Amino acid sequence: MNPMPVSVSYSELLRLTWPEIAVTLAGILILALDLTVLRRASLAARLRSGVAIACAGCIAALFLLGYSDAFASLPGSMLVITPLTHVVQMALLALAIFTLLLSFSIRFTSHIGEYFALILFATVAMMFLVATQNLLLIFVALEFLSLSLYILTGFDKHSRQSAEAALKYFLFGGMSAGFLLFGMSLLYGLSGSIELPKIAAALSGPAPGPGYDPLLWVAIVMVAIGFGFKIAAAPFHLWAPDAYQGAPTVSAGFLASSSKVASFFIFAQVVAVALAPVAGSGAARAYTPGWVPTLILIAALSMVVGNLAALAQTSLRRLLAYSAIGHAGYMLLGIIAHSPRGLSALLYYVITYALAVVGAFGVLGALESEGIDRIADLAGLSKRAPGLALCLLIFLLSLAGIPPLSGFFAKFYIFSAALESEPHLGLLWLILLAVAMSAVSLYYYLRVLKAAYVAPAPLDQPKLRIAPATRLTLWILAALVVLVGCAPSLLLNSLGIR
Amino acid sequence: MHLALFLIFGALCVAGALNLLLQRHPINSALSLIVVMSSLAVLYLLLGAEFLAAAQVIVYSGAIMVLFTFVIMLLNAGREERTRGSKMAYVIGFPGAAVLLALLADIFITHSGEFHRVHAGEYVVSTAALSGVLFRDLLLPFEVTSILILIAILGAVALARKEH
Repeated sequence: MNPMPVSVSYSELLRLTWPEIAVTLAGILILALDLTVLRRASLAARLRSGVAIACAGCIAALFLLGYSDAFASLPGSMLVITPLTHVVQMALLALAIFTLLLSFSIRFTSHIGEYFALILFATVAMMFLVATQNLLLIFVALEFLSLSLYILTGFDKHSRQSAEAALKYFLFGGMSAGFLLFGMSLLYGLSGSIELPKIAAALSGPAPGPGYDPLLWVAIVMVAIGFGFKIAAAPFHLWAPDAYQGAPTVSAGFLASSSKVASFFIFAQVVAVALAPVAGSGAARAYTPGWVPTLILIAALSMVVGNLAALAQTSLRRLLAYSAIGHAGYMLLGIIAHSPRGLSALLYYVITYALAVVGAFGVLGALESEGIDRIADLAGLSKRAPGLALCLLIFLLSLAGIPPLSGFFAKFYIFSAALESEPHLGLLWLILLAVAMSAVSLYYYLRVLKAAYVAPAPLDQPKLRIAPATRLTLWILAALVVLVGCAPSLLLNSLGIR
Repeated sequence: MHLALFLIFGALCVAGALNLLLQRHPINSALSLIVVMSSLAVLYLLLGAEFLAAAQVIVYSGAIMVLFTFVIMLLNAGREERTRGSKMAYVIGFPGAAVLLALLADIFITHSGEFHRVHAGEYVVSTAALSGVLFRDLLLPFEVTSILILIAILGAVALARKEH
């Protein structure tokens, strides 16, 4: 083991991590206040102050991000900050704010401080996750994130489903962490470095050619399995439907949106930066082994399994879970494209997807007080809560990919990026499969909307009462989905597509 | 001097480990474990790994064993009961352990010529080098881990407590 000749300037480290520190401090402050000053206060007051402090922390971090350097890095690739990581971090903070605003009406726990602190800490983990190119910090941040998400999933102590979901998620997550660590240790063994760029340099080096080392293939498959669990791609998706159904709605929305954004970004970084020399190709008649064919297999399987299984669901949350598996398949296309354009398309897709999913779970949360989870229970929603039904319409049509909503452009960009990847049109069969599966997905999304809009309402049901904060947040989310769809350049310019 | 200390504490370590397995009462087993861990710490010290030795005493012999004894005393655990399973463990376990020992001994004896000589303490990382890694090269993961542990405590409390 040779000592690394690195010198770290502590002030530099502090300066670069200010946004993360701000969010962490907000989390600790909430925890401290909730356990001391606000101990005897009413639940509503504690909720209000918790949301206020948490949002203040996130907004402070947004400002600090806005004023920090566009390009910076720490020795050992500990932190590699680019305009792209800034955009992703801002998206994560914005999603955290939306999640917090939607949690005004949570009733399942009286431990508000812990709950909000966990959401903030998970956000901190994701911010570190997207800003690093060092395998050690990637693993630590990923486990940090997973640990917070397990607890958020099992936070509803009154529900057996919540406990079951958390346990399943924990067991699957622990297994996947083992696979990921095994893959990473093999990569370290093959390249002698834990920095993504140096791994790439070592793998592309002269003989003995990496293409002939079977350990490299084992490493690729292990890493793909490890991240496949995190992004809930088939066949590693088994935890997702239970976690989405059992978790408290706010946690489920957070799990389905923010963690997807961060996991997809770092997955793309690991394979596109560290494993760039061994990409391979899955194009028809030009097959070469590498991580691209592996991911093509996972993507195709996710699209088919997710979308077909979603057809059979009667529970709204399970439907969203299976459709998330299908969406994970589409998003993998952005990684498979293996180009800067593919990465930008992936980020546009995953960010707009996260907005729509947070919104959809927000609607579910608003309906939860009525005990609505079956699709059939939505009957007459357009009469009982017209605003809510309209929001649901926008979110689901965006997920289905109907123009002019953002989901359509997301699919368009990601499919075209995959088509343009070398060799030209080599992945046509996969895109055709993706388009066909999109058509399938339209059917089950419309089935939900049919229940909400067309099915006759049961008689004498009163109008739904929805908290003003929830209503406002849902409207903002719906407006964003429409706005980013009508003017995609707003987001695309910052992601680097022209 | 080194050899004498190594023999004494090595023997103590093995004796403690055997006693740990043979004792019927949990508290005796726990105390034997302390003997094992403390003598291991002396062995580390003999190799020149002073930080590892100190950590071994503080963390394992200290913190973790105190926790073990607390749990045993709080649960008021009595003598171990013999079940069918423990008989099976005798029947399968002892031959299994013997086979494993024979296998390892065979490998070591047949391949002993291929081993390279290593001087004691050659590959041991000093405390200064360790702190260099911990507080300079890998400072950020180290700090992130501290919040991770906070999360773990928070989660353990949140999941274990009764909700009213």
